Amino acid sequence: MKRLLHRWFSSFSAFQYRLERRFTRAGALALSVLGAAAVIGLDTSRTVGYQVLTLVLALLVISAASSLVFLGRFAARRALPRFASVGVPLSYRVAIGNLTSRRQEGLVLLEELADPRPSFEEFITAREPGEERRNWFDRQVGYPRWAWLVSQKRGAVIPPRPLPPLAPEAETDVTVELTPLRRGHVRFTGLTIARPDPLGLMHALKTIRLPQALLVLPRRYPMARIQLGGYRKYQPGGVALASSVGDSEEFMALRDYRAGDPMRRIHWRSWAKVGRPVVREYQDEFFVRHALVLDTFAAADAHVVFEEAVSAAASIAVSVETQESLLDLMFVGPETYCFTAGRGVGNIDRLLEVLACVSACHDKPFRALHRAVIDRHDALSSCVCVLLAWDEPRQALVRDLEVLGTPIRVLVVGERAALAGLPPHVYRLEVGRIGEGLARL
Amino acid sequence: MSPPPLLLGAGLIFWGWQTGFLFVAVPLAVLIEAARALTWRLDLSSTDFHRVTDLCTLLIVVACVYLFSTTGTARTASGPRAMTLLFQWLPPLLFPLMASQAYSVAGKIPLTAFFWGLRRQAARDPSAEPVPVDLGYLYFALCVLSASAANQRTLAFYAGLCGLAGWALWSWRSRRFSPLWWAPLVVVAAVAGYGGHIVLHRLQQTLEQTAFDYIFSLVQRDVDPFRVTTAIGHLGNLKLSDRTVLRVEPGDGLAVPFLLREATYDVYNSSTWLASGAGFTAIQPDADGETWKFATGRGPGARVTVSAYLNRGRGVLALPGGAFELERLAVVSVRRNRLGAVKVEEGLGLITYTARFGPDGPLDGPPIDTDLRIPPQEAAVIGSIASALGLPGAAPAEAVNRVEKFFRQDFKYSLWKRERLRHGTALGEFLQTSRAGHCEYFASATVLLLRAAGVPARYAVGYSVQEWSRLERRWIVRARHGHSWALAYVDGAWRDVDTTPSIWADAERDEASIFEPLHDLWSWGGFLFSRWRWSEGESGVGEYAPWLLIPLVLLLVWRLYSRRHVRRGDGKPREGAAPPLHPGHDSEFYRIAGRLEAEGRGRRPTEPASAWIDRIQAPELRPIVALHYRYRFDPAGLDAAGRAALRDGAETWLRDHEDAVSAAGKPVTG
Repeated sequence: MKRLLHRWFSSFSAFQYRLERRFTRAGALALSVLGAAAVIGLDTSRTVGYQVLTLVLALLVISAASSLVFLGRFAARRALPRFASVGVPLSYRVAIGNLTSRRQEGLVLLEELADPRPSFEEFITAREPGEERRNWFDRQVGYPRWAWLVSQKRGAVIPPRPLPPLAPEAETDVTVELTPLRRGHVRFTGLTIARPDPLGLMHALKTIRLPQALLVLPRRYPMARIQLGGYRKYQPGGVALASSVGDSEEFMALRDYRAGDPMRRIHWRSWAKVGRPVVREYQDEFFVRHALVLDTFAAADAHVVFEEAVSAAASIAVSVETQESLLDLMFVGPETYCFTAGRGVGNIDRLLEVLACVSACHDKPFRALHRAVIDRHDALSSCVCVLLAWDEPRQALVRDLEVLGTPIRVLVVGERAALAGLPPHVYRLEVGRIGEGLARL
Repeated sequence: MSPPPLLLGAGLIFWGWQTGFLFVAVPLAVLIEAARALTWRLDLSSTDFHRVTDLCTLLIVVACVYLFSTTGTARTASGPRAMTLLFQWLPPLLFPLMASQAYSVAGKIPLTAFFWGLRRQAARDPSAEPVPVDLGYLYFALCVLSASAANQRTLAFYAGLCGLAGWALWSWRSRRFSPLWWAPLVVVAAVAGYGGHIVLHRLQQTLEQTAFDYIFSLVQRDVDPFRVTTAIGHLGNLKLSDRTVLRVEPGDGLAVPFLLREATYDVYNSSTWLASGAGFTAIQPDADGETWKFATGRGPGARVTVSAYLNRGRGVLALPGGAFELERLAVVSVRRNRLGAVKVEEGLGLITYTARFGPDGPLDGPPIDTDLRIPPQEAAVIGSIASALGLPGAAPAEAVNRVEKFFRQDFKYSLWKRERLRHGTALGEFLQTSRAGHCEYFASATVLLLRAAGVPARYAVGYSVQEWSRLERRWIVRARHGHSWALAYVDGAWRDVDTTPSIWADAERDEASIFEPLHDLWSWGGFLFSRWRWSEGESGVGEYAPWLLIPLVLLLVWRLYSRRHVRRGDGKPREGAAPPLHPGHDSEFYRIAGRLEAEGRGRRPTEPASAWIDRIQAPELRPIVALHYRYRFDPAGLDAAGRAALRDGAETWLRDHEDAVSAAGKPVTG
């Protein structure tokens, strides 16, 4: 039955998509009137609704016939920004080339995004936020969940963009607005130039293949620069490309002298040998290294909580001072990951890119993350844990870190009810009020 | 996109013109179009829109109840159904919603007004902005469709429809094409639509005449006046229903058991009776539309009043033999055939009619050859019994008496048939061997024996009225009272010949369910409700229903406007109506910002104030900005000293800045 529903919804979504592409707003209204007139005019001896029906039908048929021919030829280039952020509208440029010798007017630009229909597995496993509050029928049939999944997978809202007149055999730049709905990649497959028919009811379409992707970063909340405790720790091997700041140093290499290098680092013997100043390069071994631990072990129905946790982690990541320290982002996905930023190793943008693509882990226990964090605790100056619950496995991680002497800040993200009864040293981040919670840190 | 000026008003007037409510439509049209000229607006919140929607919904529900309960009184042969009337009334019923949109500051209606689910969602998340909807074109379409429900079959309707459609489409047309393209296409569509609707109407008429009637006759549960298959030869026990199908008012013309006939058949073939040449012809009603005469110039005769349910408004009437007139029969068409069956169409769910009848009615046509025909397979048995009874050559009345006496003597009534027939026919076995059966055996055998005697005879089916209901104080007829008997043409008139032993009613009563009293009570309740719903008398509750609307509407209007939400404005939509004042809105820093803005050194959108003063190199503003930040964002606010410092600092800066500008003759920094 679920498979049948999935197939129906899939077909309906495809039909709806084609309808939205083909019909203008006036056309959609005409289609609705056609349906209503068909019901009212069913009995042609009782009402004259059938006269409305035939007139509207004739209008639509003429519109459809007029939409069969569209002789325009176009080329397009899309200039996307590198990143976008969830919920923050952005504009990007599209250059439309009119390849015909005729001026093209009254056209509309429609962006084509990748097919957003969820697979059967996604449909049956996903839970729409607030689905438990829906009525029995909606929960069983699952159409609201389907609609939510489609909107999430589409990833962005791009309203149709009316095009200015396109000069013959010339390129015209237009600005398109996009509002990202979720983090991750928004995938474009192409764009469509739509031409309304003379009656303004239907579109003739020309689609240009133009695959591209835009990375949408997680939503970030403003918060004060976070002050993490801890002291510098010995980093075996150091940081390969760290700048020359640090106390205990280990010789790494020789290089040519650069203006500003201290005199005491000049390697005199090498200078004598090669005839030009050469300096010793050292690798730092003691510096501050923080860990940002993200709990990805979210239940299937905890989508919103997980997204808020990712946003909280992103907000924290951008607020940590990484000029003089390193920040490790640790989480468990298909495997255990640790990405480092700071001191020239990588920048925060990279961490945000990683956070944009992080997904919930359903096939491993929390213990996997516990082990990964404890394995690295020697190198960590402090640790910030963004957790999705406050159960025994999570408490065990915090307890172990405390026992090992690692300064730790624990943030638990959840619904208001789930956050009741947390110990005082745990920061509560309530879903929907994450910004407020982070501002209090 | 909103409709162009005057289109909504034109739509309303078109609706009023077609439905005959022009006196309602004109004020409504003026009211809706006046919104373009008037500048004041009502500051309606989402909750107000919800209330207006609820009001419209309630108006529709009340109108629905009213129309469904009073359609009986309003209905005539050509009158519309309640649903059609309701549809005609929709524009004024939904007008409050349209007016609230036209006269509101927002100019659109939040989608939450139409869905309870969205309202709940909005209540859970007040920060979410509801999607606004412009009802203009939808309301216009509704006016046109409601006008079509008036069923004015004139060219004026189609011309008006085309004019309005063209008007509406004009603003939507593609600017890519010249109007010289657009106009011919609209004309072509109008012509095609005109031809199309004529074809469509004819097509439906043709379908109605052929397929629809045929299909309907297959699925209907009423008696088929052309054919009846008897249970002759059926093995086991016959199951009969206790369902009450007819109610008969006690009266002078009624002596129980009383037979009400539905149909008559003249051709018997293998347990099936058929009606030959029994096409129906329409009867015209008298001027009151409810009296139907089968013959004129008849005497007063006896009367019997019957109430019956109709299946989808159609059915075959149960009438006494000799019926010549029907009174108070509220249906659109009555048709009869030569065998006395009377079909009605387009009736209400429950009909109550009075049949006037005499000893010989005009319904039954004169006998023809088929009324004397005996099927070959039954001829031998019938012939031998007829000979034994001395029927051939006997006078018709005498033949009838002998046949009645024959069945009274050696036959018994039974709903049970035990053995499968090995040879011969079921009727032959009944006459010669078992001598037991139900009414169909007796009636069929009687018809064939009378025919053998040379008496024209037919097979009649209907009901026997015999059960008095103390609950209802009238005679009730159950499905199990369904009966069949013979009609014999004696002395120039058709008379009922019922040879079934009179104990048949007792035998079938024994088969009644133990839940019959409960079923009767339920059935009576249903009957009372149906009678009220389809009430035709002056005592119907429906006639008082309009008065119930007045207090209800007053109550709703009071509920709607009990809260003051009226604000006069300039008619221009405001961003989110009245934005709430945020803390620190009166900070003097904004005066500085305004001043710098005027000098072309304004703050960029989303630029923090501190970054801004750095950019424009105005470090002297830093302490003022710090105080402003505290005043604006600190939950604890600014104490009196801090507030005074902010005010004084800003005043001083503005004064110094003014002096510096005056002195330098140009804006300065720092």
